[in-house]
Amino acid sequence: MIPLVAFRLSGYVRSHRIFQPLLGLLAVLSILYATGVPAGGELPSYADSAGILMLVFAWAARGLLDNEPDEQRLIAITAVGRRRELTAGLLAALGLTSLLALTAVVFPLFVGFAETPSGADLGYGAGLHLLAVLAGTALGALTSRPVLASPAASAAVLVGGYMAILLLSSASPWASVPVLDWMNAAHHDDLPQRLAVIVASALAWSAAGLAGYAAVRRVRG
Amino acid sequence: MLATKVYFRYRRGEPWVLDDASLDLSPGSVAEITGPNGTGKSTLLRLLAGLLRPVRGGITGRPPVVGYAPERFPSAQPFTVAAYLRHMGAVRRAPVPEELTARLGMDHLLGQRLSDLSKGSAHKVGLAQALAGDPGLLILDEPFAGLDAQARAELSVIVAEVAARGGIVVASDHQGDLRAVPGVTRHEVRDGKITQVALPVDDDPLTTLTIKLPQSRAAALAARLRAEGHEVS
Repeated sequence: MIPLVAFRLSGYVRSHRIFQPLLGLLAVLSILYATGVPAGGELPSYADSAGILMLVFAWAARGLLDNEPDEQRLIAITAVGRRRELTAGLLAALGLTSLLALTAVVFPLFVGFAETPSGADLGYGAGLHLLAVLAGTALGALTSRPVLASPAASAAVLVGGYMAILLLSSASPWASVPVLDWMNAAHHDDLPQRLAVIVASALAWSAAGLAGYAAVRRVRG
Repeated sequence: MLATKVYFRYRRGEPWVLDDASLDLSPGSVAEITGPNGTGKSTLLRLLAGLLRPVRGGITGRPPVVGYAPERFPSAQPFTVAAYLRHMGAVRRAPVPEELTARLGMDHLLGQRLSDLSKGSAHKVGLAQALAGDPGLLILDEPFAGLDAQARAELSVIVAEVAARGGIVVASDHQGDLRAVPGVTRHEVRDGKITQVALPVDDDPLTTLTIKLPQSRAAALAARLRAEGHEVS
């Protein structure tokens, strides 16, 4: 399975489609950190970064999963089996989005933060980006070509889905991936107390999204 | 490998593409799938390869290693031929043998980008990846389309070799090149059913041809002529 993950990532990078999410990432980071973040503002900045970048992660995951032609996907299925092909695609997408998230966590340490954040804030920031990676990858997979064949419908559902997540998360942390909830908690020094609910909800929604993708692929190939 | 009473359609409410279709493929068999355009030949091949699931009925006894060459090789990929075959060899855990690329006449293509290949050259890449790892089931969708004469003859030999070591070969073939392979059976897909049909009897009278060539090339030519269905003594 690892060679197939490497093949998918290699094809994505060689096709230059990686520049699309990279430009999105750099745009978000520039806006967030252009004016600098004063001491004490690191965790709220990380929470905002994770929440906003979820859309970039979804775009990247969708781009990677859609990068190879349909016939190549069929060839891969005959080579390694349906389940491994699906898992390899998701692992490649998770690898890509994790790399983008790592960049987002490290970038402000050099450009943006006035002071180096504490170990705890760095851990919370990295953890929130990990939740965004999982949720973004699930959203990207659910809008990839095997699920939504029309590129226009796929793009609309991806952006609309992200906006719906934001709106629903303002109602309750369980209503969707709790993006606004983690932003709110980080801005009010309340993240450690609400972390368990935030993590549980984000993991549950991400798992449901990935399971939905796997179910559709089981039917449509 | 046995396909039993297979029903398949792409969406609920649409007409059946395959309707109570059965096919028995024993190890070492070579099956040519024929039929008019749009009758479900490629669908049958994808069902046999495990890429589609029957709505009803079942396919049992599929060998573990499956090679699949689609009708149109997806050449819109950012790799050279060599890099693509290296990747696919790693994915299949069986490198594509150099001897195979030589036999298919594609050594000069190895440094070229997939997107720059002609249709026939791209088709060879699809065949090469499908043949890696000694597949027990080889599914070829119009394998001879666009190939030059030498590659067509060599592919017939390769198909015969796969069958000789117990592999099952199933191919749709409009060109009729597969009929040169000894022991090939022909199955027609029509109206959702699969029917075995007799191969046409050639009433052309037989003649004997004497060929003089270097001894070192005799065995290869004899094998190729046998694969094309000629008697060689």
